[in-house]
Amino acid sequence: MEPLLEVRDVHTFIGQYHILQGVSLSLKKGSVLALLGRNGAGKTTTLKTILGLTPPRQGEVIFAERPIHEMRSFDIAAQGIGFVPEQRSIFRDLSVEENLKIAERKKGDLRRKQELIFGLFPDLQRLIRLPGNHLSGGQQQMLAIARALVADNRLLLIDEPTEGLAPVIIEQLILAIRQLSAETTILLVEQNFIVASQLAEDYVIIEEGKSVKAGKMADLLHDEPTIHRYLGAA
Amino acid sequence: MNSLALFLRRNRTLLITAVILFLLLIVAIRGMETKDWVITLLRSLSVAAVTFLVASGFSLIFGLLDVLNLAHGALFMIGAYVAWTVYIRPDTTIALLTPTCLLAAGFALLPLWSYLASRLGGKKSLARLWPWLGLLLAGVVLLYALRAYPITIWDPGVYSNAPGTYSVFADSGTLVIPEPAAFTGQSPVLVMAGILLGGLLLAFSLSGLQNRRSGGATRKLRLPWPYLAGFLAVVLVGVLVYIFNTPLTTAVVALGSNWLFLIAIVVALLVGILLGSFIESSLIRPLYSRPIYTLMITLGLSAVVVELVRAIWGRPEFTMPKPAIFDVTGGNCPATTLAGIFRDHCSTVEFMGSRIRVYNEIFIPLIGVLVLIGIWLLIQRTRIGMIIRAGVQDREMVEALGINVRQAFTFVFALGVGLATLGGALAGPSMGISTAMGDSMILNALIALAIGGLTSYPGAAVGSLLVGLVQQFIIKYGQIGIQLPFMEAPFKPSPPLVPASTVLLMVIILLVLPNGLLGRRKE
Repeated sequence: MEPLLEVRDVHTFIGQYHILQGVSLSLKKGSVLALLGRNGAGKTTTLKTILGLTPPRQGEVIFAERPIHEMRSFDIAAQGIGFVPEQRSIFRDLSVEENLKIAERKKGDLRRKQELIFGLFPDLQRLIRLPGNHLSGGQQQMLAIARALVADNRLLLIDEPTEGLAPVIIEQLILAIRQLSAETTILLVEQNFIVASQLAEDYVIIEEGKSVKAGKMADLLHDEPTIHRYLGAA
Repeated sequence: MNSLALFLRRNRTLLITAVILFLLLIVAIRGMETKDWVITLLRSLSVAAVTFLVASGFSLIFGLLDVLNLAHGALFMIGAYVAWTVYIRPDTTIALLTPTCLLAAGFALLPLWSYLASRLGGKKSLARLWPWLGLLLAGVVLLYALRAYPITIWDPGVYSNAPGTYSVFADSGTLVIPEPAAFTGQSPVLVMAGILLGGLLLAFSLSGLQNRRSGGATRKLRLPWPYLAGFLAVVLVGVLVYIFNTPLTTAVVALGSNWLFLIAIVVALLVGILLGSFIESSLIRPLYSRPIYTLMITLGLSAVVVELVRAIWGRPEFTMPKPAIFDVTGGNCPATTLAGIFRDHCSTVEFMGSRIRVYNEIFIPLIGVLVLIGIWLLIQRTRIGMIIRAGVQDREMVEALGINVRQAFTFVFALGVGLATLGGALAGPSMGISTAMGDSMILNALIALAIGGLTSYPGAAVGSLLVGLVQQFIIKYGQIGIQLPFMEAPFKPSPPLVPASTVLLMVIILLVLPNGLLGRRKE
């Protein structure tokens, strides 16, 4: 089967810094791929490069058989890519409802998706009128994921969903993401290896801006030396 | 109850400042007789309304685009000059309409041009060169064609044809609209075709430049017909206006000053919106990543605009008579009741012992309030408003949702400049028109924003109000004097203290609340 997303030998510069020095990955439709690696390895930059927020200087990004690396980022997102950034980037002055509504690409998107969204995150329905800055960290994370679900996205880029959250909330998020993975394709960046291993089927390890290893998550779990070498004691 | 206590504690500095400001206002009012403080309050509202029109646009632009538009004052001034011209010289305005339409027609085809430009392959160096060659050619063609186009007698250098002379005539009510100018020598068709061609070339070259910047990605062209229809419609309007120039001018002049004033205000607003979108897309857009350069370019733009206005309008100062509906004196005037204003169209009204000018102290604040509410609804209730509010906080995330933030940028810039030119047009009859009006206004607006909070919309309103109050009360006390306990004669603040007082207020407020009254730290 054709991959939904394919990243081929991408090089990205931020200012004068050569951040990505050759990242390649391939993501099958309907699967979950975890992007692993140490802090500062270039995982977040990889997501931003796919979205065109930090456009690549070299290499190709193919989404649904279409090259997207030369498009502007709003065009890329409109192809059907949802982004859940690391800092959640909830719009503080917008209410929860507006935070969802702004993600509509067609009129009525939110109404059609509200069953799915409030099914996954019942809390949000209760908080719908509150401004974004009144939410707790976990609620913000749920809202950030929900926002990516409003439009008809074929791919979700989720960056560090569990960072800085309480274990109870992490449990909830894992359940939600697992439920989502049944229907859409997910590229997940996750520091927490235990969480990543529960969610993803495949993995790619990034080290110093290069993708160095890829394979099945099931194999990685038994590959102590690799885990030790690239991810530290996990 | 708990949440109220929390609210009070969180905002205690703001609340204490507000109480102190309110007490100061009470003290200032108590020091005057009723008739004095009523008129002073109303004048403050008038100044506040105009300041708010400039400040709110400035703050919207800064909030979303991070651009400090230092040309905002100059654009405010442009609004006043444009409104004056439409109001006093409708004939010139109509004569200008034809070349403007012909020139603008090419821009109606912009989507077609950018498609063609992206298709125009060839060598890299050639692709870099041709837009500049096109621009040069367009410049030469337009220079010749526009110079050959006769504009109804208007020449700042010749006394009888100078705008200032018409201003004097208009003030005394003896203005006679001169005969329209005619083509001398050249064929009208040729000249008009030249302008049209120049406009087409200009639009095409500019889209070529834009295209080079955006990396030359091939765009798809959907349905060229609406654009073509728009192009033809604009050309048709231009030609029709040329053919029916005389009857149209007669008809417009016969509308009388009230309608002309309304038209003048609308035209000023439209000119602001068009200018704003043009400035954003041509000068500001390439420089978003370099904030210092946008600062320099808007500063330079403001100097250029002021000099252009001097060159075109000649004399630096005009008065703009008020429209008839606000300008009746004698007879039953000044009015004593609200109904009297409407019945007799008095220029002034007696209220609580003071004589209030209807246009300055009632109409302008009213428009200010209407704009305040209108923009607030736009920001709070519409999708574009939602995108603006979100973009102020996190542009990248808005873009990542698949929204073209750049379109919102252009919209906000055009809206902000439109508000400024609207303010200029409204301020014309009350403040008088001069090339210096922009400088003092942008200073007022900046102080108002610093007081209220740079990117806060309600802050712009509160700040403008405070600036208006402080200025007007100081001016009034300059006339009547304050009896200070340790001085024998009443202290009369001199006029230079007026701007100083607002700066002092700003300094004090910023010392207590570094982000202004309602501002929030940008994260």
